[in-house]
Amino acid sequence: MATTARSGGNASGSTAQRPNGTQQNKNCQFKLVLLGESAVGKSSLVLRFVKGQFHEYQESTIGAAFLTQTICIEDTVVKFEIWDTAGQERYHSLAPMYYRGAQAAIVVYDIQNQDSFQRAKTWVKELHKQASPNIVIALAGNKADLSNIRVVEYEEAKQYAEENGLLFMETSAKTGMNVNDIFLAIAKKLPKNDGAHNQGAPAGRRLNDNENNRQTNNCCK
Amino acid sequence: MDLAASSTSRFSDVDEYGFKRSDNFDYRNYEQFMSGYLKTLTKRRMKWEAILQRNADLTTIDSKLKRYIRKGIPGPFRADVWMKISGAAKLQQRSPTLYRNLLGAHYEKEICDSITIDLPRTFPDNIHFDTKKERLFNILVAYAHHNREVGYCQGLNYIAGLLLIVTDDEEKSFWLLKHIVESIVPQYHTKNMANLLRDLAVFKEMIMRRAPQVNRHIENLGLPYTVIASKWFICIFAEVLPVETVLRIWDCVFAEGYKIVFRVALALFLTHKTAILGCDDIAALANLFREKMMQGDIVTDCHSFIEAMFKIRLKRSELEALRKVCVGRNNT
Repeated sequence: MATTARSGGNASGSTAQRPNGTQQNKNCQFKLVLLGESAVGKSSLVLRFVKGQFHEYQESTIGAAFLTQTICIEDTVVKFEIWDTAGQERYHSLAPMYYRGAQAAIVVYDIQNQDSFQRAKTWVKELHKQASPNIVIALAGNKADLSNIRVVEYEEAKQYAEENGLLFMETSAKTGMNVNDIFLAIAKKLPKNDGAHNQGAPAGRRLNDNENNRQTNNCCK
Repeated sequence: MDLAASSTSRFSDVDEYGFKRSDNFDYRNYEQFMSGYLKTLTKRRMKWEAILQRNADLTTIDSKLKRYIRKGIPGPFRADVWMKISGAAKLQQRSPTLYRNLLGAHYEKEICDSITIDLPRTFPDNIHFDTKKERLFNILVAYAHHNREVGYCQGLNYIAGLLLIVTDDEEKSFWLLKHIVESIVPQYHTKNMANLLRDLAVFKEMIMRRAPQVNRHIENLGLPYTVIASKWFICIFAEVLPVETVLRIWDCVFAEGYKIVFRVALALFLTHKTAILGCDDIAALANLFREKMMQGDIVTDCHSFIEAMFKIRLKRSELEALRKVCVGRNNT
């Protein structure tokens, strides 16, 4: 399956490896949504994370896109269901459908664009109001490869993130900087205990045996 | 790309519209298809020359003309035939200075910015498009200021871009864009996208009625119809299906209207029924719609797809009735 293939994704590069088959893996699945203004690099972050690719002129997302990627943390296989949304304001009315029930969100802004940072703050507010109460939110200041022409200061965004309980990283989909790391940091913060999804808490769904087998074929090897 | 394939193929790795063919393009199948299709194209062109001599303004679309259009308007005639059968030519005659006046007007910065962001990412793989960017900007910015209710909606860049490739004429592209946005799919591109949301719900209802097991399977896997089909409806399949297929579809859209959009969407689902039911998780399903569906026969043989879509029974009255039921739905 192309979307979960680990073709150049390298997402587990910084995770703990363990000898294959020595113990039972735990498997979790999380719904993650990407939000943020148009052209800040949402789709590019996903493309880098899922396929290890970057297109200078990434086509604009119309409506929304869905992709998956699997990473490993210690003894847990984490599968992200990624909902990549359109950034233009008028597509906003579709967004609740995508963040409803999401356990994680990455709110993206462009470090060269002050408006996109303000827009990111509005997204964070909306998520705090409307999304699952325990949603894990990460703030990504993208296009960090252009930090010499930045207008949003690192410290300013970091402080905002701390005040609002968000994970925060500056990322570059172009160079790959912090892309896997931000997904990894989210995965680490998400609860991976058994059966927790029954309480409506933002916990990963345990995969059934079938999915289990397929996942272990793709991952942790 | 596949060197073996290209070295034995008469066909370049760039198509006649300047789009790069995908790395896994099936040259052998395409060659086989084109060996028959080229003869058909030549015959069709002669027939169209005769039609245009007899009925130059194409004011009435009788059943014979409709049949010809469904078989494909020859490339060299396409721009003018689109202008005439859609009524865009008449509108242009009535307001001959409109487009030029719009270009001279003062532009809002916000609109300009959002269009400018999308220019380099409109058809980046098309080898001719670099030189057309400024003209695409003109069409989009003129339209956004002409129709304030729509302004600039992402997706219009693909429609206008393809119109520009076909017509090679800014002003014609503007009028055809206006026709699509205001007459074919009104209120799709406006700020609340009301009719888009309604028609996505209509489409889902149609699948529920015609292929209930397909709908159940998609619901069980949890992929919303808006993820699958928003772009199909917003872009009228531009940047979704292969260009030749899109142009054949647009031939019919300009002649017959919005019903064709539903026909295509239905045909995509119904001709891939087995493949949809064969997907055992949401990722496989999303991948089917995003990538797999756009490979193979649908790329190399646009003619069979058009034939298949006209075999589907579809009445305007059915669509209108469903539209009444689905008004206001926004969670498809």
